[in-house]
Amino acid sequence: MRRRYDRPAVALGCLLIGFVLVVAYVRTHRGAPAAAKVHADLVDRVRSAQHQADQLDGRARGLERQLAKLQQQSLPQADSRRLDTEQLAAGQVAVHGPGMTVTLREPKKSAHSSNGGRGGTTGIAATNILTDRDVRSVVNELFRDGAEAVAVNGVRLTPTSAIRFAGQAVLVDYQPISSPYEISAVGDADTLSTNFAQSAVASRYQTLKGVDGIGFSFAESSRLSLPASAATALRYATPLRRSR
Amino acid sequence: MIAGLALAAGIVLGLILRPTVPTWLEPYLPIAVVAALDAVFGGLRARLDGIFDAKVFVVSFISNVLVAALIVFLGDKLGVGSQLSTAVVVVLGIRIFGNAAAIRRHLFRA
Repeated sequence: MRRRYDRPAVALGCLLIGFVLVVAYVRTHRGAPAAAKVHADLVDRVRSAQHQADQLDGRARGLERQLAKLQQQSLPQADSRRLDTEQLAAGQVAVHGPGMTVTLREPKKSAHSSNGGRGGTTGIAATNILTDRDVRSVVNELFRDGAEAVAVNGVRLTPTSAIRFAGQAVLVDYQPISSPYEISAVGDADTLSTNFAQSAVASRYQTLKGVDGIGFSFAESSRLSLPASAATALRYATPLRRSR
Repeated sequence: MIAGLALAAGIVLGLILRPTVPTWLEPYLPIAVVAALDAVFGGLRARLDGIFDAKVFVVSFISNVLVAALIVFLGDKLGVGSQLSTAVVVVLGIRIFGNAAAIRRHLFRA
């Protein structure tokens, strides 16, 4: 038996079926690129945020330079000099002078075997050997040896700086840095390097260099320049008024 | 003939329009797919059996999709959505295999 709506009905049904199948196919195969798109989107956002942070940092530096100039013009000579010394100590002005540079570097390939031991555990080879502790101990040793200003990978240390560890990255003042860690200190170059070479910290890293294959070297330098750190606004600390 | 053309037209339409599936519709997509495949094999089998009826073909496809979607919708509300979705896929899958076996017997007499 044949009815006149047979052919359109079959056509409609088949159209619908083909449509459903292809929609499912397209959706499935767009899933993976969608994840990649989200990833790229996130990377873009991180990049633009970093770019913005860099721009703001640059602007802050420019404004600070302007401020310094104005302060110099308006303050009496004695006050201006005192301000300079205090800003120097606070790491708010770029400095240059003699000093030394210590370099710590992750080994190219871990000296340990790639066998991570028990299943489900992170092998020792997968983790970094050098952590915030190493950077911190070198920085502390340099300050002990008479450093007047210290910067790690171009990030100047101030009285409020922290050297921390988050995930696999070392954070200096919340800025992630990675191997090689280059710690520059301004001070009397001879005293610094002599004291540092004799310190327990230096001998520890000499040992690690032999055992784990990390890169460790230090060198005197007659002229180092360290960048300024953006001033930190102190919100809670107020100066203690001295009774006069 | 007309069926094959319409199927191709549907595929082309989907490729051209590339509709984005709304989120609320997503759980029902696998069911729609399996129901569509079931309709294709069922229609082919009926054709070979000589009992193909366009009305039955279209109505059974649409009603199968709707009933399956209703079952999954109820399951979603009761917290067993994914299990019921699996159940629908299994049942329709068994039907597809049954139909495929009937088609095979027709074509190869084996």
